[in-house]
Amino acid sequence: MHNLILLGNGLLNVLSIQNLLVTGLGAILGLMVGAMPGIGSLAGVALLLPLTYKFNPTTAIIMLGALYYSNMYGGSFSAILLNIPGDSPAVMTTLDGYPMATVKKRPGQALYTSNLSSFIGGFIGIAILIFMGPALAEFGLKFGPVEMTALLLVAMTSIGWLVGDNPTKGVVLTLAGILVATVGMDTLTGSPRYDFGNVFLLGGIPFIPFVIGTVGFAQVMKLIDEKDVGTKTVVEGKMSLKGSLLSRHELRRLLPPAIRSGFMGTFVGVLPGAGATTGSFLGYAMQKGFKSEEPLGTGAIEGIAACEAANNAAAAGSFAPLLALGIPGSGTGAVLLGGLMMWGLNPGPLLFSSQPEFCWSLIASLMLANLLTLAIALGIIPWITRILSVPIKLMIPCITIVCIVGSYSSTNSLYGVIVMLISGVVGYLCEKNGYTTAPMLLSFVLAPLLESNMRKSFIISHGSISIFFTEPIACCFMIVLLAIIATPIIRGILSGKKR
Amino acid sequence: MNKFRKLKTKIIIPIATFVFGAVFAFLGITKYGFYHATKGPLPGFFPSIVGICLMIVSVLTLLQARSDDDQHSRKENWYPVLGTLAILLGCLVFGMYLSLGIFLFWWVRIYEKASWKATIICFIIMGVIVIGAFGCWLNIDFPKGLLFSWM
Repeated sequence: MHNLILLGNGLLNVLSIQNLLVTGLGAILGLMVGAMPGIGSLAGVALLLPLTYKFNPTTAIIMLGALYYSNMYGGSFSAILLNIPGDSPAVMTTLDGYPMATVKKRPGQALYTSNLSSFIGGFIGIAILIFMGPALAEFGLKFGPVEMTALLLVAMTSIGWLVGDNPTKGVVLTLAGILVATVGMDTLTGSPRYDFGNVFLLGGIPFIPFVIGTVGFAQVMKLIDEKDVGTKTVVEGKMSLKGSLLSRHELRRLLPPAIRSGFMGTFVGVLPGAGATTGSFLGYAMQKGFKSEEPLGTGAIEGIAACEAANNAAAAGSFAPLLALGIPGSGTGAVLLGGLMMWGLNPGPLLFSSQPEFCWSLIASLMLANLLTLAIALGIIPWITRILSVPIKLMIPCITIVCIVGSYSSTNSLYGVIVMLISGVVGYLCEKNGYTTAPMLLSFVLAPLLESNMRKSFIISHGSISIFFTEPIACCFMIVLLAIIATPIIRGILSGKKR
Repeated sequence: MNKFRKLKTKIIIPIATFVFGAVFAFLGITKYGFYHATKGPLPGFFPSIVGICLMIVSVLTLLQARSDDDQHSRKENWYPVLGTLAILLGCLVFGMYLSLGIFLFWWVRIYEKASWKATIICFIIMGVIVIGAFGCWLNIDFPKGLLFSWM
């Protein structure tokens, strides 16, 4: 109850004309930057941080919250419309979002599903943050290297098994993605590794060009096959606000996965270093275990809802360790922490009692940003979906340019474009031969985290694997891991016997 | 030729992933080190394990590949790759903006034979995104090229 009163005070601070305008501006800019391939939430928040200099501290923090939150929404726009994830958490959104927009020719509904789910996930995340923020942050600290290794092993294993039709091919690309991620500096010792004497490889393979190439550029190469059918467009006819809405039945399909993923995503967001990408993937993986009206990967509403809700809930959940303990859960969180400290807000255990006005204004601004971004995003959907009514033959050079510019801007060198080109060709050949590339991208993101935690665990246990079975939380995850590996094998044996 | 194509589409990927895994495992064990009694796992520890796993799974995929369908690409599928290579080279001489402009004009107006109206609309939209958003707003410093330096 006390928290609600403080939140009410925070809302009163936020609800001035100036703050509302600033929240709206932050939401629009965050959406735009988030939708641009190659920028992503980390660079987006960093680029827009200077905009807050012009305001008083409370207004600046409110704008910062709105920028951060709307960035999370924006990533799904290019993922759904162009098959180019704006940021790593949106990789999973492409799996069902792009087929729903193009194959089913329902881009408006795909974006509505994404935005509504983001709102629901974000709302759940913020609500949990209000009531249980400090307690959750303390729980997150129980996740040491051993527990994180076990959780990440579950995530990694299920990537290969769950995505695509052929589990073996999924595992191949999962492992390949991990190896690509090991190029560059060793995560623990900082010594160079697999750089082959190349100064660019010393810095590792940059993620944004890698993902733009594997998903976006590979898509351009595939689109060539479709362009010869006259001036065919992906979506024909005029898009309207009414024509883009979801039916009542579709809303009923959206709610259960969005709510489930909202809770799960908040929990993942609290874990140090896990972040929105892990949340988004686990949300999708969890949905595989539930019934969906259409198979996942074919443009199912449930697939979009699960990963988008988890993504935004994780973004909200990451505020718990950030505010209560001063520990940023991700790179974006670190930039945000810098911005908060610049305005005299010192995150830590005493924050909620020493600076309640700042703290609760920030949480209230997140709530408001969630609502305003939803309203703005829903309003622009009929216009933004017109991208898909451009003839494919004109889309191809335009998307190619976006891929090149996005890759260049993320690295500020042509090295990014070269990485994009090579990964694009590899992605195209893989997709052509039935290898789904999503596992490779996700394992690439999670591999450094897995490696450092695994090595730390072995240092703690002096090389003994038993540590993963003696720690209670880790043991639970290991049981889940074994079940994930064993289930398809047992199912295969049983179906063989039936035949 | 047909046999070579079959080899390319079905077999090369598992062979490539096998070699990829083997290189990482070999270098991991021999060059970067696997495990040290006091220091614990060394930089080659994790990549070596993953590399060996990749080699095993690649062999399984290679065995499966025999029953896979053949997949063929048309030469047109490779045009965006050639275009990007041309832009990369063009960047060094003409700079990024001009190279992208030449590429867009060539593709839309000459290759696709689109109308002047469609060409101009494409130029305006891409100009807003590349020059307006990335160049001016986000301050991305695109390569200027030798021509600009010379001028």
